[in-house]
Amino acid sequence: MRTKEPGQQHPIRIYLVVWGLLFLVSALSYSTDFIDRGFWRWTLILLFMVLKAGFIVGVFMHMRWERFALISVVLVPPILLLVLVGLMSIESDYTRSTRIEYFVEGAYDEAVPVSARELAN
Amino acid sequence: MTRVLGDEREPMKTISEARETLFTTFSDDWGSDITTLKGVPWGKAMMWVFLLSDTFIFTCFLVGYMSVRMSTVEPWPNPSEVFALHAFGVSVPLLLIAIMTFVLISSSGTMAMAVNMGYQRRKGAATNLILVTALLGATFVGMQAFEWSKLILDEGVRPWTNPFGAPQFGAVFFMVTGFHGLHVSVGVIYLLTIAFRIRRGTYDESNFEIVEITGLYWHFVDLVWVFIFALFYLW
Amino acid sequence: MSETEVPYQETMGLHHPRSWITRYWFSQDHKVIAVQYGVTAIAVGLVALVLSGLMRIQIGFPGLLPFITPDIYYQAVTMHGMIMVIFLLTAFLLGAFGNFCVPLMLGARDMVFPFVNMLSYHVYLLSVVVLMASYFVPGGPTGAGWTLYPPQAILPGTPGVDWGIVTMLLSLIIFVVAFTMGGLNYLTTILQARTRGMTLMRMPLTVWGIMMATILGLFAFPALFVSAVMMLLDKLVGTSFFMPAIVSFGQPLEHSGGSPLLFQHLFWFFGHPEVYIVALPVFGVVSELISVHSRKNIFGYRMMVWALIAIGALSFVVWAHHMYVAGMHPYFGFFFATTTLIIAVPTAIKVYNWVLTLWKANIKLTIPMLFALAFILTFVVGGLSGLFLGNVIIDVPLSDTYFVVAHFHMVMGVAPILVIFGGIYHWYPKLTGRLLNNTLGHLHFWVTFLGTYAIYYPMHYLGFMGVPRRYYAMGVGSDFYPESAATLNEFITIAALVVGLMQFVFVYNLIASYFRGKPAGSNPWDATTLEWQTPKTPPNHGNWGDTLPVVHRWAYDYSVPGEEQDFVPQNVERKP
Repeated sequence: MRTKEPGQQHPIRIYLVVWGLLFLVSALSYSTDFIDRGFWRWTLILLFMVLKAGFIVGVFMHMRWERFALISVVLVPPILLLVLVGLMSIESDYTRSTRIEYFVEGAYDEAVPVSARELAN
Repeated sequence: MTRVLGDEREPMKTISEARETLFTTFSDDWGSDITTLKGVPWGKAMMWVFLLSDTFIFTCFLVGYMSVRMSTVEPWPNPSEVFALHAFGVSVPLLLIAIMTFVLISSSGTMAMAVNMGYQRRKGAATNLILVTALLGATFVGMQAFEWSKLILDEGVRPWTNPFGAPQFGAVFFMVTGFHGLHVSVGVIYLLTIAFRIRRGTYDESNFEIVEITGLYWHFVDLVWVFIFALFYLW
Repeated sequence: MSETEVPYQETMGLHHPRSWITRYWFSQDHKVIAVQYGVTAIAVGLVALVLSGLMRIQIGFPGLLPFITPDIYYQAVTMHGMIMVIFLLTAFLLGAFGNFCVPLMLGARDMVFPFVNMLSYHVYLLSVVVLMASYFVPGGPTGAGWTLYPPQAILPGTPGVDWGIVTMLLSLIIFVVAFTMGGLNYLTTILQARTRGMTLMRMPLTVWGIMMATILGLFAFPALFVSAVMMLLDKLVGTSFFMPAIVSFGQPLEHSGGSPLLFQHLFWFFGHPEVYIVALPVFGVVSELISVHSRKNIFGYRMMVWALIAIGALSFVVWAHHMYVAGMHPYFGFFFATTTLIIAVPTAIKVYNWVLTLWKANIKLTIPMLFALAFILTFVVGGLSGLFLGNVIIDVPLSDTYFVVAHFHMVMGVAPILVIFGGIYHWYPKLTGRLLNNTLGHLHFWVTFLGTYAIYYPMHYLGFMGVPRRYYAMGVGSDFYPESAATLNEFITIAALVVGLMQFVFVYNLIASYFRGKPAGSNPWDATTLEWQTPKTPPNHGNWGDTLPVVHRWAYDYSVPGEEQDFVPQNVERKP
């Protein structure tokens, strides 16, 4: 469809700034590898991941300037994926606990995460 | 439809005004005839929906990865050691992966520029930027090929086994990065085709939305890499 | 906004055919593509029908046909299921009805990307060819059951483990590609290429159903794609995504640490929305049939639309009710039973609305109407047994019995097929300009409708007796079944064969009426929707004349007081 006005023209400066920010966040994201595994590392990994995704979708893919109708079309369905991810992570924890319970002799007490042990009780 | 929402030249709005515009345009758009996504060309609408569908594909791959990793009772290999490179006499974790990340982000930047040049009808600049993007994409695929061959030949990682731990490590690695690499390769071909067609004058009659549509695909490939980098290499 | 906006369809160039090949084979006209999809789906459906006949003969009269070995039987079970669900129902409802109805009902000239649409059909054809090729590869098609559960699907002992499973998975992957191309087209057309005045809330419910089913397909088929790719890797490369450490024929295999449950989750994350991919277009079409043939506006149009949307969204969070006995997380049963019962609410709303549309209506018992009424009955029966199975405590003893077979055949086998028949009888006059033969139609309807009840009602009873599904024969140790189980099976088989044969009469009717049917005129059912208002019947390439029709009202203006006729087409202006 040809509209009279070309869509999505924005000052070059915005792209350059976001480009720089993406480099910065990527470097920060890379640096999380030097933190020990644990709560903070996970939080930072996810934080930087979401930030980068936000910059790419918001500015490079122009989502920030789109009308709300298109934004809703794109951003609502992935909620279903969050359900899948959430349920499957619970399920995988459970699978692991059953494997340790039935297949790994003597490993139960050391290896089972607390949540799974509570569940088994 | 004379203005684009959030146009830079618009005066500042108060929050309640902005919210009102947002939801009025929302209900107006969904309640209107002819088109729901106002001002969105067919190809762009189709690309967005395709990318949404592709998001589901990649998420399902990643969910499979999450499941096998969380449920395995064997130790999961530490990616930062497996993917370390020896440079300047020290072992730098994830060095190649970091470089690949920067290459892909740079390509996204040049692609965004190309879209802008396209809308300014600067065909030459747009074509050149697309070609640079394709070149960076090809570099990414090349580095991935290097990474694969290093892992297969030097480290002995196979899809069915590996010397470090859970056999699913290799399986997931080759499947996820392979599928992403396939997307990048297809993207490079797509970019070259579009560059060729722009140069030939196929889109002279249009506003060069095609560059934006191609750009959407390319940024999506970058986006997927963001998730793979965080969830596979850093976890 | 609509004053300034011009439908691009008005100015778009159409790719006009230049030769026989581009007119009938590589055509970009959505109506031709619809027929191609329809013919292919019916052809492959007839194969599945014959397979089900063979299965029924073995169950009813064990050993009557000596060539039906256990391998042949399981291959027939698998291919029957897969063909019917994917290659007939999905392909027919979205490929044939979707392609035919969407542009015509929206007042568009064609799909937005006719070339991609053409490609979609040919990729679908390729997937069908690959599927059928499995009958010609060494070892024959896979016999893993249509759910293809690993590890058994790719281990020796299952028929077709060398080649059949590979062709099956490849065929599914190709089908997903074909569907994606088609689905992107339908959705973009519905969102971006409607005619003037056609708002979303003026669209016929058929289009709404197809739209929601397309959305579901675009989000659910990825899970099938992924599980097929991962299983192919397990089979061909030797990865262990789904394969645990396992001993096969006394030999420990190389696999270790995979999770068969993961496949089931991914498969049903596709599989349950797939049920609604079939059901939602059916809901739409049946709303259309009931409204047109009872000369009354559909009851609660807005509620119908919101029910479609609610069902579509909820269908993604009920998948594990197929897995109550699979050994998943014990709390999941509670969660998924709850969501399953919740999804029954919008579904029940739809049933009430159909019945209320019929209330005090001027019901014309035409063939499409008969099929629509039969659908409501069948769907209610199948839906109610679904409520049984949705509850964990009732599902556990009934799992893998004939009760389940009866349930899903009623609700997503027979019910959609009845609507497909109804839809064909309804739109055939628009497609060809001729009516289908009425006598043969009545014969077809009554035998099919009563016959399916003769088949599936007794199956509920068999299920309560505990007769397991998918068994080749009830061997030693099955003598706890009363004599009546065998007798019932014989009865079911005979009914099934009669119903099966009747479908060939229907195919004959389709072909014969094309040449000798009564001329139908442009609007034989006095319907309001746009496809009946085309300048020519059958509509020519581009559908409309020089300008697109302009829509002034919703799709269901039947028996409006004060109007001369009992229907007012959508493109008739409102009186001031």
